[in-house]
Parts: sequence; structure tokens; C-alpha cells
Amino acid sequence: MKFLKNAFLLVMVAITASAFPNIVLAQDADALLLHPPVDSWPGYHGDYSGKRHSTLKEITPQNVQNLTLSWVFQTGQTAELKASPILVDGILYFTVPDNIWAVDARSGHRIWHYTAPPNKALHIGHRGVSVYKGWLYYMSSDAHLLSLDPKNGKVRWDVVVADYTKGQWATMAPLIVGNHVLVGVSGDFDNLQGFVRSIDAETGATQWQWDATPPVGTPKTTTGGNAWMTGTYDPNLNLVYWGTGNPTPVLNGKARPGDNLYTCSIVALNPETGKLVWAFQPSPHDTHDWDAVEIPVLVDGDFHGRPRKMLMQASRNGYFFVLDRTDGKSLLTTTFGPVNWTLGIDKQGRPIPNPAKEPAPDGRLIAPDEGGLTNYRSPSFDPKTGLFIVSAAPSYSLYFSKPADGTYGWSGADYSLWSKGVLEAIDYQTGKIRWSHELGEGRSGAGVLTTDSGLTFTGDAFGNFLALDTSNGKTLWHAGSGAHIQSPPITYELDGQQVVLTSSGSVMFAWTLPRSAGHRQSASSAK
Amino acid sequence: MNRLCCAFSWKHVLQFTSLFAIAAFAYAQNSGAGQTQSRSTVGSQGSLPVHESYAPAVIESGGSLFQQNCGFCHGKDAGGGESGPDLTRSRLVSSDMKGENIGAIIRSGRLEKGMPRFNLPDAEVTSLVAFIHSQQDKAMSQTGTRKGVDESDLQTGDAEAGKQYFNGAGTCAKCHSPTGDLAGIAARYQGLKLEQQMLYPRDAKSKVAVTAPSGKVLTGQLAYLDEFTVALVDSTGTYRSWPTVNVKYKVDAPANAHIELFSKYSDADIHNLMAYMQTLR
Repeated sequence: MKFLKNAFLLVMVAITASAFPNIVLAQDADALLLHPPVDSWPGYHGDYSGKRHSTLKEITPQNVQNLTLSWVFQTGQTAELKASPILVDGILYFTVPDNIWAVDARSGHRIWHYTAPPNKALHIGHRGVSVYKGWLYYMSSDAHLLSLDPKNGKVRWDVVVADYTKGQWATMAPLIVGNHVLVGVSGDFDNLQGFVRSIDAETGATQWQWDATPPVGTPKTTTGGNAWMTGTYDPNLNLVYWGTGNPTPVLNGKARPGDNLYTCSIVALNPETGKLVWAFQPSPHDTHDWDAVEIPVLVDGDFHGRPRKMLMQASRNGYFFVLDRTDGKSLLTTTFGPVNWTLGIDKQGRPIPNPAKEPAPDGRLIAPDEGGLTNYRSPSFDPKTGLFIVSAAPSYSLYFSKPADGTYGWSGADYSLWSKGVLEAIDYQTGKIRWSHELGEGRSGAGVLTTDSGLTFTGDAFGNFLALDTSNGKTLWHAGSGAHIQSPPITYELDGQQVVLTSSGSVMFAWTLPRSAGHRQSASSAK
Repeated sequence: MNRLCCAFSWKHVLQFTSLFAIAAFAYAQNSGAGQTQSRSTVGSQGSLPVHESYAPAVIESGGSLFQQNCGFCHGKDAGGGESGPDLTRSRLVSSDMKGENIGAIIRSGRLEKGMPRFNLPDAEVTSLVAFIHSQQDKAMSQTGTRKGVDESDLQTGDAEAGKQYFNGAGTCAKCHSPTGDLAGIAARYQGLKLEQQMLYPRDAKSKVAVTAPSGKVLTGQLAYLDEFTVALVDSTGTYRSWPTVNVKYKVDAPANAHIELFSKYSDADIHNLMAYMQTLR
């Protein structure tokens, strides 16, 4: 009986699949996101954990110096690529504002190109598209969520997430959990309410919304807390983890006394209901624009002799946090570079802001600067070495705010004086920096990727792509790219060959180990 | 078609009268500035700049483009945002007549400072220029206290204490002299620019001595240095570079002493030092 039932199901699936080809992918939709095969990179982080770590081992510390260019893709745009590409069924999808490309991962040639209708929102960057059950999901700069057909870029539906004319815009790649497309928006120049919204993957209907801050106009409270980066997800605890942005007004904290929950916070939400399960605030009462949206990286492992489900964040405010992600309790709080704005750490593991370091009419010297000790570019966690590797920017700046700057939007001014880029490998159990690698004056916009073979891929402030030895941070390979690097690397295996994908400026580069023509052919015909 | 050319030709025909009116207004402002206290109400940059006149529609279209491309860094009103400076207080903007300065920066960017280049048609660059000019004019003609950093905001320090810090704990006197390199520094820089220059002279040049494999030592101004390549420009203006693995090199970067001070200053030290710097006119 059971056999018959299964056979019947199989037939039904086959019929459905041939009638609606998009549903072919649907059978594996959850499996694809839960356990991405090595020949895919189906979401912003690759998998749900945000570790940006790959099990691939073909490219090793011993052979990485042979890495060679497989192809480049020229977007032809002046906008820089800030997106993490995704890879599904041999096709790469990546974006700059108002543009999506579908590119053959084997050759680098364009399959289709979507251009959004002209819109007047801020176009500061775009971080990529997401995929679920054979459909793409794209947040437009003017804060719409679009569902598109990955075969041709045709729009299936288009729903408004926020009204850009009021001052919010979008850059993020949605996080998809089950049939929930989870999105948020950006916006610091207006006092608006931040949120995470769940949208039905099939219909575009809103399922729930979690508001980070009270409604606009609530006296003595904050606005802001925009959730503008992609969160992470623990399928066992069934919790999504999200970082929220800074409060508004940004540099003037007087109009919004108190901690300003839930701005600059890491929150755990139930993906079915949007209910807040716990929250931890890296920057209580922020007055320096230090969003806590940096990737909440989920790691299972030993912490001081006890197995733990952890969440780690290297935060823009200069602190590295290790939390127990079942309840949000602090396990470790430490700085990972120069920080001068606190009076210490409270019992909950939160930094205590020093009121004397709030922006003032005659200026305050603040470390780090507004760009932060790190920013949205992905860090990576390497399980073998237990290293959390983050692209940091030690920096100093001047912060000003005076009554004439008002209580709306920015409400002050800040000027970075100096910064440099340093890749830092943090031992998560102690917070000690095991090695660091100088990346040059300014700061690097490259994220970090680690692999099981012991390699760390990143980039420096000059535009050099770098492959380092994860155990000691030594450079093993580099290539000058000719522009600033603004996106995190990804890696995957295609036709039996490992590929590392990096971008700089508006150009995407695919790197592989050299293969003989014969090997390449046999690899592809074997399929 | 050459849109810049078209844009300017129609504008000149249509707006000659209004241009004249604006110039006359600017002249009136300039001549009045010395006689009344109005100068303090227009920020720390002196008299109103003389800008080309643009049609309201051009300014409006520039405003829309500004939101899309520039607003994040420079603020929606061009008065400063995330990482980009307040353009209404920019000397480059106030000395820009009709886009000759601003247009060049939009097209080439300031890559070393993090500003990308924008490949926009001439007419769009013109409308951006029009919007930036109009925002500066608006900001500088307002009365009362102006938002942003004024020179008058930076007067909380004590010059005598600053002098002591300069000669003592600050160790500034090791490299600098009020009668030498810093003589007249407050005449060359004022307000926020002076404070930024004091804390970190961003454009200070470094020297480098490279010992080539032959043993020969070459010196010059450091032109480039990353992990893999070192380059200098020698006294004849010639650029030379080497792989870092092939040579020994020693960089003399005087600005590094400023980096070391960052973790040592109190805010009062900075304000006092600023007060002292302002006496060096």
C-alpha cells in the first residue's frame, strides 16, 4: 500500500513537473537552502548559518598559487558590484542597483539581463537576489519586492514594501525560510520605523511584520532600527536571527532617551509568527550610526568545555560578541580594535556608552569611525581552527552635533580622520586575535570566505584579491583587480572543478586551477 | 547630441536677465558683508559665492538625481551624510561658477577618498551642479545658527594649555615649529579644515629609500606601496617600481606620528591644541 501510494505520488510529481516546469526545483526547495549541494550557492551566505565557509578542498594552500582566470563578466556599469552572487542549476545571478544578470557559470556569458523601471530612490548598492521553488526574489532600490522567473527575468509579481518617497530604500537580498520571504529596508535621513516583514513566496501577500521601534510620533522614543542586511536561520531552533540598524535622529541622542530598543540589536524571531523570542543590544543608545546589522554567524561548537549553539557578531561599534543563540545570553564581549566610546561592559555583556563621547558642538574624537571597525561585508568562520575572520578597519573620527542640527535625520556631522584595513582572525573562545594581516590605508570592502582545505579568500584596500593560509594569515596567492573590491567571495564545484568567484569594481572574476583541455572535456561529458 | 552644449545655449538665451539679477544680488551680499554682522550668519566661509543661474526645472531634476546618486554620502540636502562632506560648506563648490570644478569631480570621482566616478550625460551633470549650487546658496543665505560645523563652534579650547601640550605631552614640537612649518598655518586653514589637518594631514607625502638587488639605494617620494609592489618618484620626476620581495625598502612617513597620538588625546587636548593653532596666523 505504501509502495502504491509512493508510486502514485511520483507519477503526480512527474505530471505536475512537466506541466509547470518551474516546480521541478520545488521538490528540493527547502533541501537546497537547508543543505546546499557543493554545486550551488543558493542564498546570500551560501547556507543559512552565515559562516561563509565551504567544505570544498580541491584548491589548497599547496596549489593555490596556480589559480588561473577562467572567465570575467563585465557588467558595463559604473555602479560597483556589492552583491553576493547566487548559483542555482549552473546559473549565476547577481545585481547592481536596477540590474539583475543571469550568467552561465561555465562560460561567464550573459543569459538574460533585467533592468528595473527608472526610480528615484537612493541607489547606494545592491546585495543580490534570492531563490525559492524556482522563483527569484529581488528588492528594488525603491523598496519593492519582485518575484521573477529565473529562466528569463520576467516579473511574476511586484509588491511595495516601503514608500521610498518618505525616505526608505532597499539594498538587501531577502532571507527565505519555508514560504516566508523575509525583508527589511534602509534609511537614516528620515525618522522612520524599521521592521522585518515576512512575505508569502507564492502570492506576495504580507504574512507578518515585526517592528523594531515604536510607531513614528511616539513621544520620547526612538525611530530607526532598519533591518537592511540578510539575516541567518537555525532550522532546529526554528529561529531567524537579524541585526537591526541605528536609531534616528542619528547623531543626536537627546530626543530619544534610554536604550532605544530594538535599534542596534540582534533579535531572534519566530519565522512563522514574527514574534520576538529574545534580543541582545550591541549598542545601547547609539549616537554614532553603528548599525548592528553585521552578519549574525551561527556556530555549533565547544565554548569553554561545553557544547553550545552560538551566535557570533563582529559589530560595527568595535565589539565582538559571542551569544548563546537559544536565549540570547552573552558568552563573550571583547573589542577587536581601537574603541574609545565606552565606560565598560554591563552585566548582560553590553558595552556601556560614555555620555562624554556623544557627538558635541565642539567635536569628539571617536574610535572607530562611522564606517565602523567592520561593516556589512561578510566575515567567515573556519570550524577547523575555530577562527572568526573579519575584515576590520581601525579608525578615528570627529563627531559633531549641536542644537541647530535638529532632531530629524542625521542631526549632526562626522568626519573620518584616518583608517586602515586589517584582516583579523579572532579566537572565539577568548576573543584574542590569533593573527592579523594588514590590508592597507583606507579600508577593504571585500568580505571573507574560508574553505576546508585551510584557505581564506579576501581582498585588500588596493584591489588585490588575496588567498591566505587560514592557520597563520600568510599570503599564498594574489591578483591585482584594478578597482576596489566591494563584495564577498563565494565558491562552488561545477563539472568536478572548484571555482572561486570574486568581484571588483563592476567586473566578476571566476578562478579555477588550470586543467588540460582533455580533462575539461571528460569532466563535462561525464555528466 | 551634445546635451551640455544645448543646455547651455537655451539657458543663456532664456536666463540672461535672471543671471544678471543673481550676480547683482551676490554683489550686494558681498559688499554688505563687511559692514554688518551678516557674515556670521552664513557660516565660516565668508561671502556668498557667485554661481551660474539655472532654471528651477533644472535644479529640481538635479535634486532628484542627487537623491539617487549622491544623497547617501552627502546627505539629501547636500549638507553632509554618511562619509561624504557637507557640500554647502565646500570651497570647491563656492569657487565653482558653472560646473567646471564639480563636473570634473563627478566624472572622475575621488577614488582615493572613496568617491566613485559617475558616468552621467552632460545635461545630468549640469542639473546636479545646479542643485548643489542652489543648496549652497540656500544654506549660506539663511540667518541664525546654521547646521553643520562652524568655525565659531571650535573655540572652546585654551590656547596656553594647547601650547603646553604642543611642547610637552603632545610631542608635536619634535617635528613642528610655530615659527617654521606651522608659521601662518591658521591663515592657510580655518575651522574644521584646520582641525582635520592638525589631527591627520591626509595629503602629507612619505619618503622611501629602496635598496635594489644590486645594492644601489634609490630615494624619492613614496608613490605606491602594497604587499607586493613598492614605487617611488625620484628627484627627476621618474616613476620606478619593484616587487617588494626583490628589494629592501624603508618608508619615512611623518604622518604616522599623528596616528600614534589618536589613542593618547583627550577631547580637551584637541580643543586646546586647536586654540593654539589658531594663534599661528
